[in-house]
Amino acid sequence: MFPNLCPYLQNILDSGLSKKLKKVEGIIFTNSCDGMRRLYDVWSNYVQMPFSFMLEIPKNRDENGIAYFSEQLLDLKRRLEEVFGVKISKDKLKTAISLMNDRRGMIMDLFEKQKQIPPHYKGSELLSFCLEETTCPKDETTQKLEALTGQSRTPSSSQDRPPRILVMGNVIDKPALFEMVENARASVVAFDTCNGLRHYSGFVENGSDPIESLARRYLLKPPCTRMPGFDKRIERLEQLIEEYSIEGVIYGSLKFCDYSLFEVPRIEDFLRKNRLPFLVLENDYIWSDVERMRIRVEALLEVVSGEFD
Amino acid sequence: MMRSVFQDIVAFMEQRLEKRPRGFDLFTKEMLSACLGAFDEDATTVYVSGYAFPTELLWAFDIVPFDFEIACNNLPQATGGNGSSIMIHSENEGYSRDICSFYRLIIGCMIQGMLPKGDLYLTSSYYCHGKAKANEIVASSEGKESVLFDVPNEISPSSIRYVVSQLKEITSKLETITGQTFDLDKLKEAVSWSNRARSLLIEINNLMKAKPCPWDGARACLLALGGAIFWGSPIMYNINQMLIQEIQARIEKGTAMPEKYRILWYPWVPVQQTNIFSTLRENQASVVMAEVANVWWSEIDEASPFEALALKALENLLVGKAEKRVKSIVKLAEDYDVDGVIHFSTPACRHENFSSCLILDALNDKGIPFLNLDGDMTDERNYSPKRTMNTLCLFLEVMKNRKAAGAGNGSRQVIDQLFFRNDSFG
Repeated sequence: MFPNLCPYLQNILDSGLSKKLKKVEGIIFTNSCDGMRRLYDVWSNYVQMPFSFMLEIPKNRDENGIAYFSEQLLDLKRRLEEVFGVKISKDKLKTAISLMNDRRGMIMDLFEKQKQIPPHYKGSELLSFCLEETTCPKDETTQKLEALTGQSRTPSSSQDRPPRILVMGNVIDKPALFEMVENARASVVAFDTCNGLRHYSGFVENGSDPIESLARRYLLKPPCTRMPGFDKRIERLEQLIEEYSIEGVIYGSLKFCDYSLFEVPRIEDFLRKNRLPFLVLENDYIWSDVERMRIRVEALLEVVSGEFD
Repeated sequence: MMRSVFQDIVAFMEQRLEKRPRGFDLFTKEMLSACLGAFDEDATTVYVSGYAFPTELLWAFDIVPFDFEIACNNLPQATGGNGSSIMIHSENEGYSRDICSFYRLIIGCMIQGMLPKGDLYLTSSYYCHGKAKANEIVASSEGKESVLFDVPNEISPSSIRYVVSQLKEITSKLETITGQTFDLDKLKEAVSWSNRARSLLIEINNLMKAKPCPWDGARACLLALGGAIFWGSPIMYNINQMLIQEIQARIEKGTAMPEKYRILWYPWVPVQQTNIFSTLRENQASVVMAEVANVWWSEIDEASPFEALALKALENLLVGKAEKRVKSIVKLAEDYDVDGVIHFSTPACRHENFSSCLILDALNDKGIPFLNLDGDMTDERNYSPKRTMNTLCLFLEVMKNRKAAGAGNGSRQVIDQLFFRNDSFG
């Protein structure tokens, strides 16, 4: 395998080849990037799994795109029914949509509390919950979610105002970065990553055609850097900075992610104009290089705290 | 700089064509003239990647497409291998060297103010995503919208509908920027030119099967990529017609270069100056065919051109499952009776590099030697002539051993040790 490929994709492939996913019976790929598309090809050839499916996600966020994405979701539904011998009825879909909307609402409430000064939760705590929530059956994490929602804030002095950091970027599955920030007495108040805030933003309309509603929500939710439109991304960043009173931004990007590589200079320009400290940390998905990053994170936090001009 | 460099080359090519008409020279002249046309203030300039868009639609409006990738990437060769002096401007603006050199070069040209102003910035989602981002950056620098032609990875009635709907929307945009009303007959005429040129390309490709090979697969590759903007115009037809005459004459007169080894090349040839092809020529190794020069699309149905052009986009050799390409490359290797296959690997080409193991294993099963040749399309800083020479000589040795032992198992071990197993899951 070539070394200059996305480490996230390499990690998935490694899991398949080394048979680490014994309990997994199926995998759904999305046409998210050039590498992922080819991972599907390589996976289909070298990893034996009863079900693998490539879900096309259009890049154009318009009615034509929604219509095509709806057809793709219908096709996925049919294939799941065939392979696993289940019936995914309209009622079941509506129930699932309703359940997920409730979850989104509750999780967005957690993020909402992060707007407080100081924030309600530790960023690493929220990340851990989000990771568990996305990988476990929903009922297994309900109790935890309820506990988090009812959790009172750790008492702090009125002068306790840790620097407020926004983490953005693509997939972050490990708490290493968040812990680095927290150990340096700052807070990750929000993380707008593939599995963070962006993932939970926006509800699915529970209308008469649930498939179309799903297509609409997933295509129109706040865009990741895969989608066309740098301006939309900057607009969202601007909004998050204001809502969460952000004082510094860390962009966590998987190494060799082309989308991020094209976006970073534009984000940097925007933040420089707005005089907000910014740090890009390219990582290998498992964050094996934490010690080298630590000094850069600490330097950023010094700048944010005004200890260094 | 871009404009003056191209003007010089076009003038030079015109002189050469007067003295000795050659198909490839005609292609070079036409390609660079088209690029120059985009600088004309009265011209309607549409940015596009010719190899990833059905340009027949643009010719129906008499628009000469401006292939921003091809235009920028002609500069390193034309300026004596000086691509990095342009790329460095994008790197200084924060664009990482992990981005494909093609796109760093485009952004560098943009920063240097070398690019013409576009009326429409059109690009495609397939090979590759970086290109669409580069187009968006160029468009926004001019305060213009970039339009993405989004082609899914599967062929079905719904994907055809999705692509057709986009072609129709793009047609409306073309009406707006040209002030013309769309004329279905003109599109049918463009499609007809495209089909006629396609028939000639099939003929050229059949002639290339002759031994020794009467033309050059590397040039066929450049023609396929750089000439793609001419599908839908008589220019492509004229180039192909001229090439057929030359190739036939070479076969009849027996003037093709002597040949010891026959090579299939994929996916693209570097546009910077390298010692690859001189090394191959010195060792009498011919590139007899390039994957992208193959005719991978069906004849376009003139009766329903939108649907047929959508199908042409969906049938693109790099759209869809890699399995399709693997089969096509193995078939080409067999049809052209090659002694080896070279994959020219440019570091940031994620989709190419990720799927090369599939091609490698398929060729391995057939006992066809495979070489992954590391290099870079345009960045001379990522290219080592000495290492390339060494790698190529080893590969030539493998082909020689294989020929000496016949194509059986005896030579297979050598090939496996040198080129296969380290890079394969099989």
